[in-house]
This record gives sequence, structure tokens and C-alpha cells, in this order.
Amino acid sequence: MAITARCLVLACGNSLRSDDGVGPKLAAWAEERFRGEPEVRVIARQQWTPELAEEIATADSVLFVDASVKPPPGRVRLIPVTSRVDSSAQPSHDLTPNQLLGLTRTLYGSIKSHAMLLTVGVSSTELGETFSAPVTAALPRARGILEKSVLRFLGR
Amino acid sequence: MSETITIDPVTRLEGHGKITIQLNGQGEVENAHFHVTQVRGFERFSEGRPFYEMPSLMARICGICPVSHLIASAKACEAIMSVRIPHTAAQLRRMLNLAQMVQSHALSFFYLASPDLLLGMEADPKVRNILGVAAAKPELGRAGIALRRIGQSIIELLGDKRVHPGWVVPGGLTEPLSSEKRDKILAMLPEAYSSVGLALGAYKQIAGTFKQEIEVFANFPSNYMSLISEEEAIDFTDGALRLIGATGNIIEDGMTATRFTEVIGEAVENYSYTKFAYYKPLGYPDGSYRVGPLARLNIVKSMGTPKAEKELAEFKQLAAGPVSSSFHYHHARLVEMLYGIEKIEEILADSRILDKHVRATAGVNRLEGAGQAEAPRGVLHHHYKVDENGKITWANLVIATGQNNNAMNRGVLQAARHYVKDGKFTEGVLNRVEAVVRTFDPCLSCSTHAFGQMPLEISLLSADGEVVDRVARD
Repeated sequence: MAITARCLVLACGNSLRSDDGVGPKLAAWAEERFRGEPEVRVIARQQWTPELAEEIATADSVLFVDASVKPPPGRVRLIPVTSRVDSSAQPSHDLTPNQLLGLTRTLYGSIKSHAMLLTVGVSSTELGETFSAPVTAALPRARGILEKSVLRFLGR
Repeated sequence: MSETITIDPVTRLEGHGKITIQLNGQGEVENAHFHVTQVRGFERFSEGRPFYEMPSLMARICGICPVSHLIASAKACEAIMSVRIPHTAAQLRRMLNLAQMVQSHALSFFYLASPDLLLGMEADPKVRNILGVAAAKPELGRAGIALRRIGQSIIELLGDKRVHPGWVVPGGLTEPLSSEKRDKILAMLPEAYSSVGLALGAYKQIAGTFKQEIEVFANFPSNYMSLISEEEAIDFTDGALRLIGATGNIIEDGMTATRFTEVIGEAVENYSYTKFAYYKPLGYPDGSYRVGPLARLNIVKSMGTPKAEKELAEFKQLAAGPVSSSFHYHHARLVEMLYGIEKIEEILADSRILDKHVRATAGVNRLEGAGQAEAPRGVLHHHYKVDENGKITWANLVIATGQNNNAMNRGVLQAARHYVKDGKFTEGVLNRVEAVVRTFDPCLSCSTHAFGQMPLEISLLSADGEVVDRVARD
């Protein structure tokens, strides 16, 4: 079964696709920052697959972390996530944060006290293991927002 | 005036493909093709690499079935080294491959196929997906997730990673199994049994409502090929290949990896990047054959485990000879999952399973080697040539999807001819054509991280390219 934690940091991205690796990069930082704190669990995946609903179900709060192609490169955004599923999106075996929350509620009756999505705008997702200048510059701010969000979820 | 219907991309598959259906002037289906539209290039860019890197390189071909590539590749390397791996290593590899089969079949059945099976082929596409299944049948949604998690957790326990695990190396494994890991795996099995039991029960209840689909979903006589043990039981990792004909007659038996290329050829068609495997003595396309769960259950005489044995007997009642409708791939997949769980339990009870000796070592003793294993989707064959320093000079991979390619194309044509009438079609009709391909669970490429949603657009084009009808799924 999934490991219980009060706050789940759930990152997505491919570290071999340049800026798309910003999610796993922030997850690695969070792992280090909250090392030794059993209330915080960090998971990084290349895709958010349906079985992650089990992990989400065991947490009080969830912070999704991902790259985004929509905002300008380097822009860091924190937005609330609801379990309302956009019916125009056709899920297969990778899901959006909304769909994952919806699936968690449907299957496990679990509703989160906090659910947020932290995104960093990307400029390149070509093959590569380095970040673009805007994403590199955005990392300190993204780390700060991530830390603050987790601490707030924990009531600190 | 001839017209073409294009389904691009085909949804709920592992990878990117499209279907085209050509109509003649009377609106009848003239021809249909399943196209694989991506190029990977692994055979070429492995040239020049040291042979011992091949298992970990080849595993990157796929994010769903990397274990099969690991194993087939390691076996090809062991043929180059001329070594036999220790008994315990062979057993542990077998378990790893079965865990992969369980998680992959769970993905295919619950995430990709069950929306059609449980909600109906004509259900609104907005709900015909895993979320719709979860809402309608939450107990099955939880069962699917549990089986995926259990399969992946076993892979992670053994190979440290749930996707692209290491552990399997030329000569055996990097480390033995610990008693702690063995106990953790054993603790997962009761939930696995109950989950697959639930799925089998649900499937048997609804299968009868798909009589028409069973009739026209790639339902034709064909040859079948799979690995089989010396006891004529199912075997995912060892054994030799058997090829049977449409009546169950044995055409070729005891095919080792070395003999594979003597009798199996690969044809090329100009509409797909995937090759078409065939049995050389019968030529192409007559020598085409099917692989995967349906082929395996058609070929084996026994599952070798008690619960799956009962299910096999029931499965074989579906036809007097080989079961020919590809719709029954779904059923076969469930039987195999049950077998996988039983076999994992059996392997863990092996008195030597915690032995520390799990690796044999050697250098280059042959300049050519081949290895084969069963991937969830069917037979997987790796064949390498090396120079005296062990650098790869040539590589060829024959994957399950290529071996099913001809049958998938014939199946698409059969279904299109049945369902598309007078050039008219609905979204539900085209979903059935896609669903034919889904029965085979082809793996086109699943290791690529994709952005955004995959739209589905089906256009009916006149001969001069004018769109005369269109169905879009955004």
C-alpha cells in the first residue's frame, strides 16, 4: 500500500528533455529540504498515471509540480487544483492534476484539504540535460514557493 | 470516386499510430491500413557500443515492457559470452518478467480496453475512459490500480526502479534477493489474487454482450507463435518457440534463438515503419502469424499453476481448435495475470531463491548471439553481432508488434468492412475499428514524454482531397 504522509509533493517531467526536467529537479530539492520529515513525501514521475491516486488518497494535501508550455518562460505560478474533471480532455494512462484528484475522490472517497499546482514556464523541451536561462533564473523563486506551500499545508 | 477515412492518432495505444480506410466509388471499404508513424532507430545507434551495455540501452526502447528487452538482450549477450546463468538468477529473472506482465496487462485491460468493454463501444467518448470506468465500476478501478501497483512494486523491489530497472546484466543479476524483499512481495499477493479474480468475473459477465465484435475483430484462421516449455506449458522467459497453424497443427517446434533468423523473415510495407514478420517457408504474407496472450494460450497445453490451469481449460472451450478472434486477447490477458501471480508465489517458494550466486562472468567467446523472451505483447527477439573487442557491429530486433502487424491490418480491414456502410460512419463505428488494434495491445513507443492531449480526427476525403465528412474528438 501507499505510504501515509500529510503532504505529498508530486512532480512530473523528463530530466532528459531540457526544461521539462524542472519538475523532477524541484522534487529532488524538496526531498533534500524535507529529509527526515515523515510528514512530507516526494514522488517524481515522467507521467502522472492513474495509480498515483492511491498515493494521493493517503495524504492530507498535495502539491503538484510541473513544467508548463503556456506561461512565458521562467514564470512561476501557483494555482489551486479542484477535482472537477474537464470532460473535453480524454484521459488514457496519463492524467492531469484535476483528473487525478477526481479519480482519487471517486475511487477512495478522499478529498484533500489543500491541492495546488506549481508550474514553471519553459522555453525548450528538446533533448538535453540543462535548463534554459529563464528556467535557471526561476529556480530560486520556485523553490521558495514550494517550501512555503508545503509548510503552509503542514500548518506551520 | 474513391475516398479515404483517416483515424489519426489511434487513441488508447502505447505510442502513435493511425488508421486509414479507403472507400471505393460505391462507398464500400476497399482497403484499410494500420500505420506506425514513428521511427526509433535503436538497431542502428547501438552499433559501436560495448555488448555488455546492450541490456540497459535496449530497455530504453519501452517504458511499459523494458524488462522483456532487458532479458532478451541479456540472453543475446550470454550467447556471445557462451555462459549459462545460475539457477537462482534464471528464477529471479522469470519473476521480474512476470511482474512486468502483470502490470502491463493491467494497464492494457483496465486503462485502455475496459472503457470499451465496461461502458460500451458507443458510449460518449467524454466518459469512455479510465475516469468513466472508475465512476461506473469503482471496485474494478481499484483492482486495476492495485494490479499495476503490485507489478510495478515487485519490479522496483527487484530492480530498484519501477520503469527501466537495472539488475539484469549479461551473465545474470547484479545482486541476489534478500529475505526482506521476498517477504514484501509475498505480502502483496493476496490483494493481487482478489483483484484479478474480480476482473475475471466481471469480464466473463460482459463478454457475451460483444458477440458481433467477437465475430469481426480480427477473427480469421492464422498461424500462432510463442515460447513453450519442455513440458508444453507456458513460459515467458525460457523454453523454445513453437509455431502452429490455424487448426493447431505444429508447423515448427523447438525454435531456439539461434534458429529464429533461419526461419523468420521480415517484410516491409510502404505505409508503416513497423516491419512485418513471417515464417519464411510459407512466404509473405501467408507465413504471417499472431503472437501474445491469444497465441500463447492457443499453443500451450498447460499453464503449470492450478488456478490458471482451470482458467485455461475454460478458455479453450471458446473454440474447437485455436481461438481465432482477437477479441479474446482480453480474456487471455486476464488468465495470464492470474498465472503470473501464482508463478511468482511458486518461484518465491524455491528453496534456492535466496542463493547468493546469481552471476556468471565471461568475455567474448562468440561473435554473434541471439536471445528471446515473451514480452506481454508476444515474442521478442534480439540478435547481435560483435567484433573481437565486443563492440556491436550489427543488431536486429524482432518485436511483438511487428509479428502481429499483418493480423492487425487484416483485422482493421475486416472490422471496417463490417461496420462502415455506404461510406457512412459514426464515432462509435470508428471506435470499434480502433478497438480491433487495442485487442493486440501494440506497443509502438511508450517511453516518450508527450505534452498535451491527443486529439482524434477522422476525415472522409474525396479522391481530390476534399473533406466530405469529419468526426473530431478534441
